[in-house]
Amino acid sequence: MSKQTTKVPFTNLRKLEQMVASCSRIGDCRQMVRPSAGRYDVCPVKDYLGGFEPYVARGKLRMADGLLRGTLNVSDGLAKSIYECTLCGSCKEACHNSGDACIELPTSRWIDHVKVFEALRADLVEAGYGPMPRHREIYGSIEKEHNPYFERHADRGKWIPAGKELPAKGGLVLFAGCTEPYRQPELLTSLLGILDAAGVKVAVTNPNEWCCGSVAIRTGNKPLAESLAKHNIEALQKAGAKDVLVHCSGCYRALKKDYPEIVGKLPFNVIHATEFIRDLIKDEKISFKEAEEEAKVTYHDPCHLGRQTGLYDAPREVLKAIPGVQLVEMRRIRENAWCCGAGGGVKSAFADMAVSVGIDRLAEAEATKAKFITSACPFCRGNFIDAAKARKARIQVKDVIELVADAVA
Amino acid sequence: MSRIYKAIEDAVGSKYVSEEDFVRQAYGRSNDGALPERWPDVVVRPRSADEVSQILRIANRNKTPVVPRGGGCDISGGSKPIEGGGIVIDLTRMNKIINIDEQALTVTAQAGITWAELNGVLFEKGYYTGNLGPGSGMSATIGGGLCHHTVGGGGGAKYGTCTQHVVALQVVLPQGDIIQTGSNASVYVKEPFCRYGLGPDLCSMFLGDQGILGVKTEATLEIFPKPPYHTAKTFTLKEPSDVKAAKIWLAWRKRGELGIYDSNYLPLLTIQGFTGSLVPKVDFPVFKAWKGLNKAIFFYTMEGETQEELDSKQKIVDKIVVENGGEPLGDTIEKGNWAKWHYEQNGHWQNFHGLWGCMGPGSIPCSSEHHVPIHRFPEMIKKLGEWETKNLDKLTKAGPALSGVSHVLLCGHTAVEIDSGLVVWQDDDKRAQNYDLWIDQLKMIDKEGGLPYVMGESISRAFVAAGAYPGPYYDFLRSIKNTLDPNRILSPGKFYL
Repeated sequence: MSKQTTKVPFTNLRKLEQMVASCSRIGDCRQMVRPSAGRYDVCPVKDYLGGFEPYVARGKLRMADGLLRGTLNVSDGLAKSIYECTLCGSCKEACHNSGDACIELPTSRWIDHVKVFEALRADLVEAGYGPMPRHREIYGSIEKEHNPYFERHADRGKWIPAGKELPAKGGLVLFAGCTEPYRQPELLTSLLGILDAAGVKVAVTNPNEWCCGSVAIRTGNKPLAESLAKHNIEALQKAGAKDVLVHCSGCYRALKKDYPEIVGKLPFNVIHATEFIRDLIKDEKISFKEAEEEAKVTYHDPCHLGRQTGLYDAPREVLKAIPGVQLVEMRRIRENAWCCGAGGGVKSAFADMAVSVGIDRLAEAEATKAKFITSACPFCRGNFIDAAKARKARIQVKDVIELVADAVA
Repeated sequence: MSRIYKAIEDAVGSKYVSEEDFVRQAYGRSNDGALPERWPDVVVRPRSADEVSQILRIANRNKTPVVPRGGGCDISGGSKPIEGGGIVIDLTRMNKIINIDEQALTVTAQAGITWAELNGVLFEKGYYTGNLGPGSGMSATIGGGLCHHTVGGGGGAKYGTCTQHVVALQVVLPQGDIIQTGSNASVYVKEPFCRYGLGPDLCSMFLGDQGILGVKTEATLEIFPKPPYHTAKTFTLKEPSDVKAAKIWLAWRKRGELGIYDSNYLPLLTIQGFTGSLVPKVDFPVFKAWKGLNKAIFFYTMEGETQEELDSKQKIVDKIVVENGGEPLGDTIEKGNWAKWHYEQNGHWQNFHGLWGCMGPGSIPCSSEHHVPIHRFPEMIKKLGEWETKNLDKLTKAGPALSGVSHVLLCGHTAVEIDSGLVVWQDDDKRAQNYDLWIDQLKMIDKEGGLPYVMGESISRAFVAAGAYPGPYYDFLRSIKNTLDPNRILSPGKFYL
């Protein structure tokens, strides 16, 4: 049912009114093929959803325009369509023509599509149309247990191997996140093994670390996101962090990009694990075993790490340094990479769609004949594992740091 | 509307039809700068000609207007209802390549595929469609392009308009009958290969028809081997640069076939806009290499079968440009060679459409692009200048709205396309003023002998209102329309039909 928009102020969206007005509706965000730039299509969810305009950026910006001008009423269907988006940012890159070094399109200064969609989600939450029911349950878990997985906060540190002592204070502090401690601890133990091999000491803030707030930011709960950001920054400060090491791409984006927007300049540096490992390799702090066999490996750019924070090279440099690894690229990479399907709250609210998009990406990975599809994000990894099961895929899913840990002498 | 919705739902399935407000609203506007928002009642995304046929039969039974829509990139209101309401058929789900016939040298595809997607596949096989569709070809569909005699998205100088290379069309007529045209109209022809030879060329009737005579669901186009050699060069031109550009193009044409694939002229005003010196708030260079350049630009791209052929023809081409005051810029894109970007980086599909709105957030064009003979284009630019002077007060009050020519491109053997028009602000209060100015400029162009080709709603109506059609011709067009579409359900109102 539609409700009158006069009751919805759209305060967040209204701040971005100029961005909304800047769309001239050319439609490259609907469908764009530009072979010279490696761009083959844009939106990973539109076809799954029936392909109508509201499921691509141009249609969403039209809706935003209508809501701001009061010509369109909010409805549950409209709200759902705004959440049926992984916020992967592929539309933004297509619109900005980011692969072109010689041209600067006006839209690149004027429209940040993901920001507009997140602002609209925040307004929908304030108006009671958002988030999706599952997101609301997750907020409850975060508020009660400080994680989105309905797990006990007291168990956050269970991933730490028995007998392993990690200091609570230090210049280098690991921000472990929630997905890895509770669902994919093997990634954290891999990372720890690499750091141990390199002789690097790292502290953890557990039990003072809470959810980074990425899920709240992406789904429109600004107050929750702000409280989590403030808490974590204080905890990291108390731990004496000069550098914060993060592997989860969602956490990395939250700390690196969102926290400064929420609270201002951070009192520490934020480093992604692949950047850190790349530097260890360069400094010859890590030595590798001789390869037992050659393996083709392809790399999937996580949206949080690539399009959102511009980190494309470090994971590739790490992979190329591993003996026996032959990096083979998929057709769509870097700014043009196809999303894994899990982001923007889609995995929790629309799980089938997430897996469907993941299957598309796995098919692309299998076309490279690679043995492994790697990523640097537990969310991508988890969704690819689900997609691989559904597709009965030949390709194996690994994180970059798992391959490094396996190869470290 | 629910009865019609239900009937369409039965035809296409519930996933592909919608009457939700937020869906209808999203189809209520395209690139058109000064036309009002108009929502359809229902949007449907069929997957086949059969489904399109069923939709049209439902519409006829209910006397409901229908507008076919491709990529929704149109600039003149062509893909939304003129009166509001009715059914919009979004054809972009029909995006399959049916056959690439390397023996007959054709490609057959559903009409909802984009020019870029189709050519992306053809490139990999060493072919292309020659003319690569409109400047918005990355998102525009072949069905949409063929409704408009599109030319601006690459290959216009060598191959003319996209409609020149159509071999066959599958069309769903307004009452729901599905017909094959071109060589496919013969039941004995084994594969489509030629548009002509079976009586009147009825295929042409649907080319450039702006979607008023039928819904194109499938097209067979000629394909050409992409020549192995090319070159691309960009020049500055001294003033009067338009006169010099026209002289160059005429001189080329009089020398016969020189392998020119594309050639564009960009007036000084465009260069000032691109380099950030025209509008203070647009303080960045769109094309970084031209920062500080204060001259008109002229470029060409050429193709050849051998390097020797290319070199010998390029000598002739360059000599004519230099004799007419052209001074070459550097060879690389970084040194200002826009032509190289245009050809090698698929810049032809970024050619200006990606730059719309460049006057500031909320600005949008009201295009008056049109064709004239090569030798007439400086005169038409002069007429546009006079129109601007005459309407300066109105343009100022409208925003200010800007008027000008972004570029001129060589189109086929005899014509150029002048990409003229206004840049207006998306402001409901100024919409009527903007519209009046737009229509006034269009009528002036029509009366000066310009031929519009992207016509949709506003431009087709301006052409009729300018009295461009002689009575018997317009009556003939009307009688064709009435015969095919007695209930006036397909795109009613375009051309005032």
